[in-house]
Amino acid sequence: MATKTLDTLGLKCPQPILKVATLVPQMNPGDILEVLADCESFPKDIKAWAEKTGKTLLFCNTDADGKHTAQIQF
Amino acid sequence: MAKVAITVNGAEPVNVFPPFILGSSAVASGDDLIIFFCPGGAPAMVKGVIEKMEGKGLPNLLELYEGVRNLGGKIYVCELALDAKDLKKEDFRDGIEIIGATTFINEIKDATITFSF
Repeated sequence: MATKTLDTLGLKCPQPILKVATLVPQMNPGDILEVLADCESFPKDIKAWAEKTGKTLLFCNTDADGKHTAQIQF
Repeated sequence: MAKVAITVNGAEPVNVFPPFILGSSAVASGDDLIIFFCPGGAPAMVKGVIEKMEGKGLPNLLELYEGVRNLGGKIYVCELALDAKDLKKEDFRDGIEIIGATTFINEIKDATITFSF
Protein backbone atom coordinates (compact mmCIF):
# COMPACT_ATOMS: atom_id res chain seq x y z
CA MET A 1 0.00 0.00 0.00
CA ALA A 2 1.29 3.42 -0.96
CA THR A 3 0.35 6.87 0.24
CA LYS A 4 0.34 9.72 -2.23
CA THR A 5 -0.23 13.42 -1.54
CA LEU A 6 -2.07 15.79 -3.88
CA ASP A 7 -1.80 19.53 -3.24
CA THR A 8 -4.71 21.45 -4.76
CA LEU A 9 -4.36 24.57 -2.61
CA GLY A 10 -5.52 27.65 -4.49
CA LEU A 11 -7.53 25.70 -7.07
CA LYS A 12 -11.23 26.38 -7.49
CA CYS A 13 -14.06 23.86 -7.69
CA PRO A 14 -14.15 21.46 -9.51
CA GLN A 15 -10.41 21.35 -10.24
CA PRO A 16 -9.45 19.54 -6.98
CA ILE A 17 -11.89 16.72 -7.74
CA LEU A 18 -10.76 16.63 -11.36
CA LYS A 19 -7.16 16.23 -10.21
CA VAL A 20 -8.20 13.42 -7.85
CA ALA A 21 -10.02 11.70 -10.72
CA THR A 22 -7.01 11.92 -13.04
CA LEU A 23 -4.87 10.15 -10.41
CA VAL A 24 -7.25 7.17 -10.16
CA PRO A 25 -5.39 5.05 -12.76
CA GLN A 26 -2.18 5.39 -10.72
CA MET A 27 -3.77 4.11 -7.51
CA ASN A 28 -3.97 0.46 -6.49
CA PRO A 29 -6.55 -1.07 -4.17
CA GLY A 30 -5.67 -0.15 -0.59
CA ASP A 31 -3.54 2.86 -1.55
CA ILE A 32 -4.26 6.10 0.26
CA LEU A 33 -4.48 9.51 -1.40
CA GLU A 34 -4.11 12.55 0.84
CA VAL A 35 -5.58 15.69 -0.68
CA LEU A 36 -4.94 19.25 0.48
CA ALA A 37 -7.54 21.79 -0.63
CA ASP A 38 -8.85 25.20 0.32
CA CYS A 39 -11.85 25.61 -1.95
CA GLU A 40 -15.05 26.09 0.03
CA SER A 41 -17.03 23.18 -1.40
CA PHE A 42 -14.26 20.58 -1.12
CA PRO A 43 -15.46 18.66 2.00
CA LYS A 44 -18.91 18.02 0.51
CA ASP A 45 -17.54 17.43 -2.99
CA ILE A 46 -14.94 14.85 -1.96
CA LYS A 47 -17.57 13.03 0.14
CA ALA A 48 -19.93 12.95 -2.85
CA TRP A 49 -17.14 11.81 -5.17
CA ALA A 50 -16.08 8.99 -2.83
CA GLU A 51 -19.67 7.79 -2.41
CA LYS A 52 -20.33 7.84 -6.14
CA THR A 53 -17.10 6.15 -7.18
CA GLY A 54 -17.07 3.58 -4.37
CA LYS A 55 -13.92 4.84 -2.63
CA THR A 56 -13.52 5.16 1.13
CA LEU A 57 -13.21 8.67 2.55
CA LEU A 58 -11.20 8.04 5.72
CA PHE A 59 -11.56 11.62 6.92
CA CYS A 60 -11.76 15.23 5.82
CA ASN A 61 -10.60 17.75 8.41
CA THR A 62 -10.62 21.53 8.18
CA ASP A 63 -8.13 23.65 10.11
CA ALA A 64 -8.66 27.15 11.49
CA ASP A 65 -7.42 28.72 8.23
CA GLY A 66 -10.01 26.89 6.15
CA LYS A 67 -7.51 24.41 4.75
CA HIS A 68 -8.94 20.95 4.22
CA THR A 69 -7.03 17.69 4.48
CA ALA A 70 -8.74 14.55 3.26
CA GLN A 71 -7.62 10.96 2.95
CA ILE A 72 -9.22 8.58 0.50
CA GLN A 73 -8.53 4.87 0.45
CA PHE A 74 -8.73 3.19 -2.94
CA MET B 1 -23.66 6.14 -13.40
CA ALA B 2 -25.44 8.94 -15.18
CA LYS B 3 -25.24 10.03 -18.80
CA VAL B 4 -25.03 13.80 -19.03
CA ALA B 5 -25.87 15.77 -22.18
CA ILE B 6 -25.15 19.49 -22.40
CA THR B 7 -25.93 21.87 -25.25
CA VAL B 8 -24.17 25.23 -25.59
CA ASN B 9 -25.56 27.99 -27.81
CA GLY B 10 -23.43 30.98 -26.84
CA ALA B 11 -19.69 31.61 -27.06
CA GLU B 12 -19.32 34.02 -24.15
CA PRO B 13 -17.71 32.95 -20.85
CA VAL B 14 -21.17 32.90 -19.25
CA ASN B 15 -22.09 30.13 -21.71
CA VAL B 16 -18.78 28.28 -21.82
CA PHE B 17 -17.72 27.97 -18.17
CA PRO B 18 -20.83 26.12 -16.90
CA PRO B 19 -20.67 23.17 -19.33
CA PHE B 20 -17.02 22.56 -18.48
CA ILE B 21 -17.47 23.03 -14.72
CA LEU B 22 -20.45 20.67 -14.59
CA GLY B 23 -19.08 18.40 -17.31
CA SER B 24 -15.70 17.93 -15.67
CA SER B 25 -17.41 17.15 -12.37
CA ALA B 26 -19.50 14.53 -14.17
CA VAL B 27 -16.62 12.74 -15.89
CA ALA B 28 -14.52 12.96 -12.70
CA SER B 29 -17.25 10.95 -10.97
CA GLY B 30 -17.49 8.36 -13.72
CA ASP B 31 -20.48 9.69 -15.67
CA ASP B 32 -20.70 9.66 -19.45
CA LEU B 33 -20.66 13.16 -20.90
CA ILE B 34 -21.57 14.66 -24.25
CA ILE B 35 -21.26 18.41 -24.87
CA PHE B 36 -22.83 19.66 -28.10
CA PHE B 37 -21.99 23.13 -29.37
CA CYS B 38 -24.78 24.63 -31.46
CA PRO B 39 -23.74 27.28 -34.04
CA GLY B 40 -24.06 30.07 -31.46
CA GLY B 41 -21.58 28.33 -29.16
CA ALA B 42 -19.28 26.86 -31.80
CA PRO B 43 -16.84 29.82 -31.99
CA ALA B 44 -15.74 28.97 -28.42
CA MET B 45 -14.29 25.70 -29.71
CA VAL B 46 -12.07 27.40 -32.29
CA LYS B 47 -8.38 26.88 -31.50
CA GLY B 48 -7.01 29.35 -28.97
CA VAL B 49 -10.33 30.80 -27.79
CA ILE B 50 -10.78 29.20 -24.36
CA GLU B 51 -7.16 30.01 -23.52
CA LYS B 52 -8.22 33.66 -23.44
CA MET B 53 -11.36 33.15 -21.35
CA GLU B 54 -11.13 33.84 -17.66
CA GLY B 55 -13.45 34.99 -14.94
CA LYS B 56 -12.93 36.37 -11.47
CA GLY B 57 -12.94 33.52 -8.97
CA LEU B 58 -13.46 30.89 -11.66
CA PRO B 59 -11.28 27.83 -12.32
CA ASN B 60 -8.88 27.58 -15.24
CA LEU B 61 -11.07 26.79 -18.26
CA LEU B 62 -8.34 25.09 -20.29
CA GLU B 63 -7.63 22.67 -17.44
CA LEU B 64 -11.32 21.82 -17.19
CA TYR B 65 -11.48 21.29 -20.96
CA GLU B 66 -8.45 19.00 -20.88
CA GLY B 67 -9.89 17.16 -17.88
CA VAL B 68 -13.10 16.52 -19.79
CA ARG B 69 -11.13 15.21 -22.77
CA ASN B 70 -8.75 13.07 -20.72
CA LEU B 71 -11.58 11.46 -18.77
CA GLY B 72 -13.50 10.47 -21.88
CA GLY B 73 -16.01 13.29 -22.32
CA LYS B 74 -17.17 13.82 -25.91
CA ILE B 75 -17.25 17.30 -27.37
CA TYR B 76 -19.19 17.88 -30.58
CA VAL B 77 -19.82 20.90 -32.79
CA CYS B 78 -22.97 21.07 -34.90
CA GLU B 79 -22.17 20.86 -38.60
CA LEU B 80 -24.47 23.82 -39.25
CA ALA B 81 -21.87 26.00 -37.51
CA LEU B 82 -19.52 25.63 -40.48
CA ASP B 83 -21.59 27.72 -42.87
CA ALA B 84 -23.39 29.72 -40.20
CA LYS B 85 -20.15 31.00 -38.67
CA ASP B 86 -17.85 30.75 -41.73
CA LEU B 87 -15.67 28.18 -39.99
CA LYS B 88 -13.76 25.19 -41.35
CA LYS B 89 -13.28 21.84 -39.65
CA GLU B 90 -9.60 22.56 -39.18
CA ASP B 91 -10.38 25.79 -37.30
CA PHE B 92 -11.60 23.76 -34.33
CA ARG B 93 -9.54 22.35 -31.48
CA ASP B 94 -8.05 18.89 -31.90
CA GLY B 95 -10.45 16.18 -30.81
CA ILE B 96 -13.59 18.16 -31.61
CA GLU B 97 -15.93 16.17 -33.82
CA ILE B 98 -18.39 17.78 -36.23
CA ILE B 99 -21.71 15.97 -36.20
CA GLY B 100 -25.31 16.51 -37.23
CA ALA B 101 -28.33 16.95 -35.01
CA THR B 102 -29.68 13.48 -35.77
CA THR B 103 -26.47 11.83 -34.57
CA PHE B 104 -26.50 13.90 -31.40
CA ILE B 105 -30.12 13.11 -30.66
CA ASN B 106 -29.42 9.42 -31.18
CA GLU B 107 -26.39 9.48 -28.87
CA ILE B 108 -28.29 11.15 -26.03
CA LYS B 109 -31.46 9.09 -26.26
CA ASP B 110 -30.62 7.49 -22.91
CA ALA B 111 -29.21 10.62 -21.23
CA THR B 112 -30.36 10.96 -17.64
CA ILE B 113 -29.22 14.54 -17.01
CA THR B 114 -29.42 17.42 -19.49
CA PHE B 115 -28.43 21.09 -19.41
CA SER B 116 -28.50 23.94 -21.89
CA PHE B 117 -26.31 27.03 -21.74
